[in-house]
Amino acid sequence: MKYVRYGAIALITFVILAGIAVPTVRTPQGLFEFPSIPGLGQKSRNIFFHVPVAWTTVVAFLVSMYYGFRYLRTRDMDFDVKSVSSAGLGFMFCFLATVTGSVWAKFNWGEFWNWDPRETSIFILLLIYAAYFALRSSLDNEELKARLSAVYSLVAGLTVPFFIFVMPRIMTGLHPGAAGDVEGKGPVLEFKMSGNMLFVFFMGLIGFNLLYVWMLDLRVRAAKLDYSQLLKQSK
Amino acid sequence: MEEFLNANQMYIVLLIVLLIWGGIIFYLFRIERKIKELERAFESKNQEPRTQKKG
Repeated sequence: MKYVRYGAIALITFVILAGIAVPTVRTPQGLFEFPSIPGLGQKSRNIFFHVPVAWTTVVAFLVSMYYGFRYLRTRDMDFDVKSVSSAGLGFMFCFLATVTGSVWAKFNWGEFWNWDPRETSIFILLLIYAAYFALRSSLDNEELKARLSAVYSLVAGLTVPFFIFVMPRIMTGLHPGAAGDVEGKGPVLEFKMSGNMLFVFFMGLIGFNLLYVWMLDLRVRAAKLDYSQLLKQSK
Repeated sequence: MEEFLNANQMYIVLLIVLLIWGGIIFYLFRIERKIKELERAFESKNQEPRTQKKG
């Protein structure tokens, strides 16, 4: 966990430094210049933060599904704690991806919300997981709560790849990678990230995932303390 | 310094984001320490009956 902590701090600090300070120029020379992307301008730096946050959402929801599955197999309450903690973090990252995307959309597409396929699908995903927490809070019996929400997390987790990877790609939209948008050739975005941009981008992906692992560890430990306190009181 | 920042305003953004990020790291480490303390307190509390029997 020590490596996770310091890895997250080092990588995200690097991404902030490189992502914000490296100038964008029309014809980049060397490592310390990014190419300017037509239509995006300085806003292209958002890629280093907005996309990794959205990606971490997927990881968190799939981890929640995995622990839900483990819970159903073993009926070990630890897995339920992990499943719900991961779903909570996934919801937070999903919300952040939506809000950052919305701010970016205002300045690139003209409106905060455009019902682009990817915006629509992430909104549905937020609703699906909001229902997950509504389900949990409506049940008092800890065992029943764990069992039902584990089954729900399996079903919800199955929809995640569909909403994130499939639907926005088979429909035409404003995001790069939508149907008809040939990668790097347009019409949505006539650009491919250069080598140094890709490097910063992937460091961001790893960094935000490590941050998620750290936060999940904290949440799980806090929840376990809470839960064992509850067990003691009920005895 | 001020002249440089006025001429390169992107670095002001960088400074602000780094400060926020530093605050988040500080906050996470504080939670980390707090949880560790609670875990220790909880463990020693749970072991009390056993140590009393031995004594």
